[in-house]
Amino acid sequence: MIEDNLQDNRDQSDGGQTGLRANVERIRLNLVERAEEWPGPIKSIVLAFTKLLTWAFWKPLIWALFSVVLAAIISAIIMEISGYNSLEAFSALIFGALTRFDRVLFESTPLIFAGLSVAFVFKAGLFNIGAEGQLYMGSMAAAILGYIIPLPYGIHPLVCLATGALAGALWGFLPGLLKAYRGAHEVVTTMMLSYTAILFTQWLAAGPLKEPGEFQWNAQTTLILETAQLPILWGYYLHAGFLLAIVCVIGVAFVLNRTVLGFEMRAVGFNEAAAETAGIDSKKNVALALGIGGGLAGLAGASEILGTHHRFYNSWSPGLGFEGITVAVLGNNNPFGCLLAAIFFGFLKAGGNAMHQQAHVPIEMVGVMQGLVVLFVAAPRFIQWIADQSLDYGKWFSVDKIRPISFALNMIIALYGTYFSFILLGETQLGLMFIGISAAVSILSIAAFFMIFARNSRGFIVSLIASMCWFTLAAVGMGAGVDVSFMILVGLVQAVLSVLALLLVKGAGKSKGDGA
Amino acid sequence: MEHDIKYAVELIGINKTFPGGVQANRDVTLKIREGEVHGLLGENGAGKSTIMNILYGFLSKDSGRIIIRGEEVEPKSPQDAIDRGVGMVHQHFKLIPPLTVTENVILGLEPSSKKPDRNNSLAVITATLLALFVLSFFLPPFEFLITAALLLAAIVLILYPPRVFENLMASTRFRAAFEKLVSDVRPLGFDDAAKKIQQIANENGLAVDPYAKVENLSVGLQQRVEVIKTLYREADILILDEPTSVLTPQEVDELFVTLEAFKKSGKTIILITHKLREPMALCDRISVLRDGVLVGTVKKDETSAEELAQMMVGRPVVFTVEKPPATPGSIILNVENLKVKDHRGLPKVRGVSFQVRAGEILGIAGVEGNGQTELVEALVGLRKPSDGTILVGDIHTTGKSPRFVREAGVSHIPEDRHRRGLILPFTIEENLTLGRHYRPPFISRPGILDLDKFRSVSSKLVNDYSIKGGGGGSLTSTLSGGNQQKLVVARELESGPKLLVAAQPTRGLDVGATEFIHKTLISMRNQGVAILLVSAELDEIRTLADHIIVMFDGRIVGEKRPEETDAQELGLLMAGHLEGEESVEVVN
Ligand SMILES: Nc1ncnc2c1ncn2[C@@H]1O[C@H](COP(=O)(O)OP(=O)(O)OP(=O)(O)O)[C@@H](O)[C@H]1O
Ligand SMILES: [Mg+2]
Repeated sequence: MIEDNLQDNRDQSDGGQTGLRANVERIRLNLVERAEEWPGPIKSIVLAFTKLLTWAFWKPLIWALFSVVLAAIISAIIMEISGYNSLEAFSALIFGALTRFDRVLFESTPLIFAGLSVAFVFKAGLFNIGAEGQLYMGSMAAAILGYIIPLPYGIHPLVCLATGALAGALWGFLPGLLKAYRGAHEVVTTMMLSYTAILFTQWLAAGPLKEPGEFQWNAQTTLILETAQLPILWGYYLHAGFLLAIVCVIGVAFVLNRTVLGFEMRAVGFNEAAAETAGIDSKKNVALALGIGGGLAGLAGASEILGTHHRFYNSWSPGLGFEGITVAVLGNNNPFGCLLAAIFFGFLKAGGNAMHQQAHVPIEMVGVMQGLVVLFVAAPRFIQWIADQSLDYGKWFSVDKIRPISFALNMIIALYGTYFSFILLGETQLGLMFIGISAAVSILSIAAFFMIFARNSRGFIVSLIASMCWFTLAAVGMGAGVDVSFMILVGLVQAVLSVLALLLVKGAGKSKGDGA
Repeated sequence: MEHDIKYAVELIGINKTFPGGVQANRDVTLKIREGEVHGLLGENGAGKSTIMNILYGFLSKDSGRIIIRGEEVEPKSPQDAIDRGVGMVHQHFKLIPPLTVTENVILGLEPSSKKPDRNNSLAVITATLLALFVLSFFLPPFEFLITAALLLAAIVLILYPPRVFENLMASTRFRAAFEKLVSDVRPLGFDDAAKKIQQIANENGLAVDPYAKVENLSVGLQQRVEVIKTLYREADILILDEPTSVLTPQEVDELFVTLEAFKKSGKTIILITHKLREPMALCDRISVLRDGVLVGTVKKDETSAEELAQMMVGRPVVFTVEKPPATPGSIILNVENLKVKDHRGLPKVRGVSFQVRAGEILGIAGVEGNGQTELVEALVGLRKPSDGTILVGDIHTTGKSPRFVREAGVSHIPEDRHRRGLILPFTIEENLTLGRHYRPPFISRPGILDLDKFRSVSSKLVNDYSIKGGGGGSLTSTLSGGNQQKLVVARELESGPKLLVAAQPTRGLDVGATEFIHKTLISMRNQGVAILLVSAELDEIRTLADHIIVMFDGRIVGEKRPEETDAQELGLLMAGHLEGEESVEVVN
C-alpha cells in the first residue's frame, strides 16, 4: 500500500518526455513569454489558449476517452455473449442520439447541475452524496411557488428557480454546519438528509399539498401556472434550463478560479492545516461549499419541474442526484469536464431508447455502459498498467520478434478461450459438470491472459492447464452427445502455443520474457 | 587501479528533464564504492533528490545506465531497487501517520516467514466458524460433522504444525512449496514483525516502540522508522536524503553514531546534506552537483568546507553575517504568563512571559517537544491558550483567529512546510499570495482575484529569492525541498510584518540560500521589525539573535545574550540542567 502511494506520486510527477510533448511544451512556453508584451484582452485569450497545450489539460481528456473506448469494447462483448448484435446496437445508439440531439441536451440538463454540485463540493475536499435530496427539496420548492402565487411571465420562473436553489442550498448547508462545527462526517449526514428530504417531499405531495380533486389518486401537486413554465428551446423537450446549466458551468468555473471564495475553498480542500495557518476560515468555507453545492442540486430539481414535469410527483427523479456523482467523476471534477460528461451521459440515454427499439437490447445496457466508463475512469492505476505494458510490448517488439509474437498469440487464444467458454456457460442443459468445467476454463483463461500480458511466464502453465480443461470438456460433451470438434481444436491450439512459448522462454534463460 | 575497485552503484550518463522543461540531471556520472560513505552536495534544486530517486526506481530517467553491483538494471519501481538491496529515506517522509510503526514498516511487504500470532489465529478461526455456520444450512447433519472436523483439523495443522510434521518435512523441497502455499492463506504476522523491528532497533541503537502510532512520534523518531524500514528490507545500500535538516543537534549526533556502525558492518551509504561539517566528519568521498551537472568528486582528506562551498555555489561563501548592534524600539510582542495545552489536553506551555521589541531578534532555543511548537501556534492564533495574554503592539490577540493575528501585523514561517506552510497542489503563484490573496493589490474588485497581479508579484519574488523551478505557473509540488522552503520564507517576509514569527526558517536550505535569508532577517531587524526566531540549530540562534531564551518542559529556564554564553551552556540548559538550586526541582 505504501508503495502504492509512492507510485501515485510518480504518476503525477513523472510525465516521461516524448519528443512531441517536449516540442509542444516549448511552443507553449514561447507563447506565454510573447503574450506578456501583448495588450490586455489578447493576452488573456492567448494565455487561456496556452493552457490547452499542457499535458495537464489533455491527460484527463485522453483518459476519459480511453475509458469510453474500453467500456464500449466490454459492452460489446457483453452484448455478443448475451446474443445481441453489438454492431447494430451501437450504430442504432449513435444514430439515434445524433438525429435527436435536442433529446441528448435535454437528458443532460439535470446531470450538468447535479455533476456541478458534486464537483464543486469536491473542490473543497468534501463529498456531497446527498445531491438527490437537495434536488428533491429544490423541485418541491419550485413546484409550490409555481402554482401558489401568480407572477408575470419572465419573473415567475426566476423566482421559482431562486427558491428552488435556496431550498437545496439550505439542505446542503445543514450538513455543512454539522461538519464544520461538530465534525459529523458529511458522507453520512448528506446521505441521511437525502432520504429525509425524499420522504418529506413525498409526504407533502401525498398529504398537505396533494392536488385537490375527487378522482385524484396520484401523489402529486397541482400543475404549475403557465407563467412559471420554462420555454422550450428546441424540439419537443429541450427547455431553457439547459441555458441556465451552461451559465452555471461558467459561473462555477469563474468562482473556483477567479474569486477569493473559490481560492479559499480549494485551499481548504487541498490542505486544511496550511489554509488555516494562512488565515483562512476553514469552517466557514466547508459550510459554504456544501451550501452552494446544495443550491446547484436544487436548481437541477427546479429546472426539471419548471421545464418538463410542470408539477411535483412522487419519485419523479430516477436518481439524477446520484448520477451527478458519476458525472463529476468522469468530468474530473472540472466544471467544463462535467458539462462534457453530462452531455455524454445524455447521449447514452437518448441513444439508449433507439438502441432498445431497433436492436432490441434492453435499456439497462445503457446503465452498464455508464458504470463501466466510470469504473475505468476511477481505476486509473489499472489503465496506467495496461498502457505501460502495451508500451513495453512495443519496445520489446522492436528488439525481438519471435517471442513477443508468441506471447501475443497466446494472449489471443486465451482471450478467445474466455469468450468461447462464456458462451458454453449458457448451455445449461448439458449438466452441472459441464458448466463447472466451463467456468473453470473461463477463469483460467482470464488469469492466463493477464499473466502473459504482465510477461509472467507462469501464465503459459496456466494456459496449458486451461487447454487440458478443454479436452476434459470435450470428453464430457462427447458423453452428452454434442459436437466437440471445436473444443478440441481450441484446446490443441492453446496447448501447442503455450508449450512453444514455454520452450522459447526457457531457451532464452533469464530473458526479458521472464520479467516479472 | 580503477579495475580493483568494486562499485556498489554506478550511475552513468544520467539525463532527466521534467515536463515543464526543467533539466534536473545532465549527463551525471556517479560511482559509489562498495562500503563507503559518499556525500552528495549541491544547491537547492541542483538535482540531488532527482538522481537518487532515479536510482531508487521512483522516477524514470530519460537516458543513461544504472548498474548496481555489476548488474545493469532498469528499475521500473522502487521494488526493483529494494530487491537489489537499495533502501532510501526520503527528504519528505513517506509514512502513514495514523498507522503504527510496525504497520508502516511492513506495508507493501510480504513478511518472508509468517508465523501465526494471537490475532490472526483468532481471525482465521473466526472465519472458519463463520464458514461452518453457513455450511450447516446446506449439508445434512452427518456430513456436516465430518466436514467440520476435517476443516478444523486442517486449520489447526496449518496454524500450529506439530513437531512430527515439521521434522517430516525438514529439508525437503516439499516443505518450501508447502510454506509458500500456506503463507498465502495466513494473514500477516504482526507480532513477528514487531519482534523483528525490536531486534533491528536494538542491534542498531534505533530505539523505538514498534506499537507506537507514527503520528505521535517526533520527527527524529519518524526518521528512525524510515531507517528501520530500509533495514527491515535488508538494504545494504542506504540513501539518506537530507536526514539531518529536520533533526536537533543531539539527534544528529545519534544518527551519526548509527551511520558509523552501518559503515563498520559494511553497508554503503549515500548521504545528501547541506551542512558542510557533516560530510567532512563522516564521508569518504564527496560529489557535488550544480544545476544538474556533476562538478566533481573529491576525497574528504583532500578538501575543506570552504572548497566544497565554492564548488557548490560557484563563488566563495561567507559563513558569518554582518550584524550591527541592535537598536531596540518599542515593545511589539508582549506575552504574559501564557499557558497552552496540546491536542490531548496536556499542558505544554506552563506560564511563559517575554517581550520582543521592534528592531530586535529574540531566539528561542530548546529541544523539540518542549513547548515551542505550541507556543508558536498560540502566538499566531492556531491554538487557543488556556491562560495568559498576548499583545501585538497594542492589539489584544489572545485566542483570536489566525487572520486577525495576521492583520495585526504578524507573519509566520511554520516549522513544517508541507503540513502548514504550503498547499502543494497549488501553483507557485497561488502559494506566494496565500494569506494576502483577499486584500488589494491581489483583488481587482471585492471578492474577485486579480490574476495578473498574482503573476507579476510572484515573478518578482521568484527572482528575488531565486526560487528555482518551472516558473510561477507550475505546481509547488514540483519544486525541490529547499525551493519550497524559500517560497514560504519569501511569502512571509514580503508581507510587510511588524512581528515575524520564524520557526526553523532555513530548514533544508543550502549554504547560499541560508546566507541570503540570514542577511534578509538582519536587514529586516535593522528596519525595525520584531523577530521571534525558533530554531533547533544553536549556531543559527547564536549568530542571529540579540537575546536568547531557553525553553525546557514548557518553561523558560534561562535568558542569555549570545555574546555572554556558549553552545555548551545552552546545551546544558536545553537538557534541563538549571543553574543553581532550581535544578533539583525540575528533575522531580
Ligand atoms: N516532479 C517534478 N516536476 C517538475 N520539476 C521537478 C519535479 N521534481 C523536481 N523538479 C525540478 O528538478 C530540479 C531538481 O530537483 P531536486 O529535488 O532534485 O533538487 P535537490 O537537489 O534535491 O534540492 P533540495 O536541496 O532543495 O532538496 C528542481 O529545479 C525542481 O524544480
Ligand atoms: Mg532534495
